Amino acid sequence: MSSIGLLIILIIYVSILFYIAHWAEKKQNSKWVNNPYIYLLSLAVYCTAWTYYGSIGVAANSGLNYLPIYLGPVMIIPLWMIILKRIIRISRVNKIASIADFISLRYGNSRFLGALVTTICIFGILPYIALQLKSISETFHIVTKTPTNSNVFQDSTTYVCIALAIFASYYGTRYVDASEKRKGVVTAVAIESILKLVFFLIIGIYVTYFVYDGFDDIYHKSTVLKDFDKKNSIGGLENSINWFFLCILSMFAIFLLPRQFHISIIENNKESHIKTASWLFPLYLLLFNIFVFPIAWGGNILFEGQGLNSDTYSLLIPQFFNNNFLTVIVFLGGFSASISMIVVSSISLATMLSNNLLIPYGFIGSLENISQNKNNKRILLSRKIGIFSLIIISYIIYRVFILDYSLVSIGLVSFVVIAQLAPSFFGAIFWLRGSKEAAVTGIIVGFIICFFTLLIPYSFGNNNEFVANGYFGIRLLKPFQLFGLDYLQPIPHALFWSLFFNLMCYLSISVSFKGNYRERNYAEMFVNIDKYIANHENAFIWKGTAYVSDIQKVLQRFLGEVRTKRALSIFNLKYNVPTDETMADAKFIKFAENLLTGHIGTASAKILISSVSKEEKISLPEVLKILEESKENIIINKKLTETSNELTKITSQLKIANQELIKKDVEKDEFLDTVTHELRTPITAIRAASEILHDNEDIPQEIQKQFLQNIISESDRLNRLIDKILDLEKFETGKQKIYISKNDIIKTINNTLENLKQLIINKNIVVNFLQKTTIQAFYDEERIVQVITNLISNAIKFCPENMGLIDISIQENKNFIEIKIKNNGKSINEDDFEAIFDKFYQARNQNIKKPLGSGLGLAICKKIIEHHKGKIWAENDKIEGAIFIFTLPNYNVTEISL
Amino acid sequence: MKKRHEQKLVILSILMILALNLPILLLFDNPKALFGLPIIYIYIFSAWIFSITITYIILKRYYE
Repeated sequence: MSSIGLLIILIIYVSILFYIAHWAEKKQNSKWVNNPYIYLLSLAVYCTAWTYYGSIGVAANSGLNYLPIYLGPVMIIPLWMIILKRIIRISRVNKIASIADFISLRYGNSRFLGALVTTICIFGILPYIALQLKSISETFHIVTKTPTNSNVFQDSTTYVCIALAIFASYYGTRYVDASEKRKGVVTAVAIESILKLVFFLIIGIYVTYFVYDGFDDIYHKSTVLKDFDKKNSIGGLENSINWFFLCILSMFAIFLLPRQFHISIIENNKESHIKTASWLFPLYLLLFNIFVFPIAWGGNILFEGQGLNSDTYSLLIPQFFNNNFLTVIVFLGGFSASISMIVVSSISLATMLSNNLLIPYGFIGSLENISQNKNNKRILLSRKIGIFSLIIISYIIYRVFILDYSLVSIGLVSFVVIAQLAPSFFGAIFWLRGSKEAAVTGIIVGFIICFFTLLIPYSFGNNNEFVANGYFGIRLLKPFQLFGLDYLQPIPHALFWSLFFNLMCYLSISVSFKGNYRERNYAEMFVNIDKYIANHENAFIWKGTAYVSDIQKVLQRFLGEVRTKRALSIFNLKYNVPTDETMADAKFIKFAENLLTGHIGTASAKILISSVSKEEKISLPEVLKILEESKENIIINKKLTETSNELTKITSQLKIANQELIKKDVEKDEFLDTVTHELRTPITAIRAASEILHDNEDIPQEIQKQFLQNIISESDRLNRLIDKILDLEKFETGKQKIYISKNDIIKTINNTLENLKQLIINKNIVVNFLQKTTIQAFYDEERIVQVITNLISNAIKFCPENMGLIDISIQENKNFIEIKIKNNGKSINEDDFEAIFDKFYQARNQNIKKPLGSGLGLAICKKIIEHHKGKIWAENDKIEGAIFIFTLPNYNVTEISL
Repeated sequence: MKKRHEQKLVILSILMILALNLPILLLFDNPKALFGLPIIYIYIFSAWIFSITITYIILKRYYE
C-alpha cells in the first residue's frame, strides 16, 4: 500500500473520530453519551499499542509475562467499588483535576508536592507516549513497506505525529475548568476502544481459523519449535517472584496512571457506573488476551528464524497472505489504541503541567492583574502548547533513545516510575498520619533509585561499562543487581528497591514527626470522606480575617462577573448566609478555593486566596479538637434532624387539634345563639299574651282563657327546653348518673308508643311493631324511654303527610340487642350521618330547614346510649326513608353466665 | 452497599491475588494442551472468568 493511500485513509478515519467527538460534545446529556458502557469503554484506554502489538511480541519471544499487566487490574478490580468511589467523592467535592491535585491537596495543599508529582508523571509518561508514536511509526512503515528514514524530516511518520499533536492540543483544551467533563473526548475514546477490540478479534479469528485450523492446529505445529515448553510455562521460583512484582506493578498502574485517573475519576458522571465497569472491564481485558497466544505462535511458525519484529506479527501475517484489507484494518486498530492513549495522557499531563507547575511557580503573579478573558486565554494557550510540546518531545525521545526497545519494556519502565506515587496515594485515602515531608521524601528517593536502575541504563544502552561493573566501579551499585540482588529481572528489581525505600521513608517519616495542621485537616477530609460528603465545606478549618469583597474580586478575574455572582448566591443560599455579610468564614474560603481550583489548580488557588486574606496559625491539637467537635456536630445534626421530624409530626397533630377547637368554639357560639333564640320564642309569646291581658281588662272570658292556656303551654315548652339543656350539661360534665335495672325492652317501647299515640293518630301514621315476646335487658328505663320517644317523635316529624309509615324492629345478637326505628320520609344526606348527633346541629343548617325541635334531642340520645355502653347511628333505607339504630348490651347473656 | 457485602469483594480480591501467584499458580504450570491452549493459560483464564462472575453476582445482588 502506498504512503499517500494510507495517509488518506488515516485522515478520513481521524475526521470520523473528530466528528463523533464533536457530536458527543453537543449531546452532553443524551443517554448515548452518558451511560456506564461509555465509561467502561473509555476505561479501556488502558489497552494501548502495548497491548495491541506488544503482548504478541512478549508471547512470541519470552512467554507468559505479558499477562500480569492485565492480571494485576483483574485482581484489584473487585475493590473498585470501594476504592474508586472514595476517590471520586473526594475529587468531586474538591474540584480535583488530576492525580497531582489529588496527592498534593491531601498533604496540606502543598505546591511543591504537586510539582513533584507532575514531574514524576512527565518522566513516566513521556516514554510511554513515545512508545505509542513508535508503534504508529513502525506499523506505518510495515503497511506501506517503506523503510524508516533516518532523516526525521523526510520520514512521513514525523508529519503524522505533528498532525496528531495539533489534533490533541486542539481537542484537549476546550474548557478552562480542568475538572469539567470532556464528553467529546471520552466518547471518541470509547468508540476507539470498540474498534481496537473488534479489529483485534478479527485478526485473531483470521489467524486461528483461516490461516490455521483452530487452536489445536497452532498448538501442535508450534510444539516442535525451539523453547516452546519454556516459553509457555512460568518457570521456577525466581520467575514467579518476577511475576508477582509485575502483578503489583500493574495493580498500581490502573489507579495511578494519569490517563486512568483522568478517565476513571475526573470523567466519571455517576458512581453507579463503576458497578457495570467492575465486571465488564475485566471481561474486555479477557477478550483482548484470548487470541494473543494463537497470533504469537502462528507468527512464530510462519516466520521462525527470520529475525522479524514479533511485535508486529498481527500485521505481518495478513500481509504475508497478501490480505491488504485486513492489514489496514489491523493498522487502524493499533492506531486507535495509540491515539486514544496519546490524547488522554497528554490532556491530563498538560493540565498538571499548567495547574501544578507553570501557574503556581510561574505566571501566577501576572495572572492576578489582568482581565478574566485574557486569563482564560492564557491558561488555555499554556495547556495547548503543553499538549503539543509533550507529544513532540515524546517523538524526540522515540527517535533518540528508544528506537530499538520492544514496546513492552518501555511501557514497564513507565509503570515503575509512576508506581512511586503508590505509597503516598494509597496512604492519602487510608491513613490519617501520612505527612507531606514523608510523601516528598518517599517519592524523591524512589525516583532516584528508578533513575539509576532503569532510566539511565535504558537511555544509554545495556552494554555500557557501568551496567556490568556498577556505578563508579562499585560492584554493589550495579544498576540491575543493586546491593547484590541478582535473581530479579531489571523491571521487578527496580520496582522492588525503589518501592522498598519509598515506602519505608514514607512510613517512618510520617510517624517520626508531627504533621502540619492543614495536612491533618485534609487527611480527615480524605479518609473520612463519607462523613463529609454532604457538607464538606464544614470540614475545612481556617481561622483569620478576610473580606468577601476581596475574594470576590479574585474570583471575578477567573470566573467572570456573572458566574461569580451566581456562585456566591448559591453559597449564601446553601449556608444561609446573609448577602451583606462582609467577613469571609472558613466555609467561604474553601468554597472560593474550590471555584478556582478547576482553573488554576489547588496550589495556585490557595496562593491567590491567601494573598487577599490573613490566616492565623492554628495548632495541631486545636485542629484535632475542632475536627472532633465537627464530627460530634454531624452526629448531633443527625439527631436534630430526627427531633425536628418528630416536632413536625407533633405540630401537625396540634394543628388538627386546634382546628377542632376552633370548630368547637364556633359551635359553642352558635349553641348560645340558638339557645337564646329558642328561649326567646316562648318568652315572647308569654309576654305578648300577658301584655294583652294586662292592657285590655274588657277581654271576653273565653279569649282570656285562651291566652292563659297559651302562657301555660309556652311556659311548659320553656321548662322542657331548660330541662334538656341541663340534661345535656349534666351528661357532658359527667354529673348525670344512670340507674340500671332489669327491664323488658318490648314493654318499654309499647309504653312509649302509648304516650305518643295522639301524635301518631293526628298524622295518620301506621306503626309496625310486631314483636310480642319479652326481650330482657339491663338499662335505665326512664332514660331509654327518653331516647325512644325522641327517635319516634323524630320519625313522626319526618314522615310524609299521608301514607306515613314507621317500622320498629329488635334484633337480638349474641352480645347486644339492636333496636331499629325506620320511617319512610326524607333520607339523610350521607355527610350528615355523624353530624346530626351534634348538639344544635340544626343550628348550622338553619337556612335549609327551620328546626322543629330543640336540636338537642339526638345529642342527648347519643349521650344516654353511650352511658349504656351502646352505639347509636343513622342509615338510609335502600328504597326511601331513614333508619336510626341503637344498641344496648345484651345483659341476658351476662345474666345467664352469672 | 452494606459493609458485609463490601467485604465479600475484598475477600474475592485477596483470593484472586493468592490464586494467581506463587505457590498456587505453579501447581498449574504446565505447557501441555487442553482445548488447544497450554494448561497454564486455561487455568489463568478460568480464574479470570470466575472473578468476573463473582463480581457480577455480588454487585448485581447487593449494590444499592
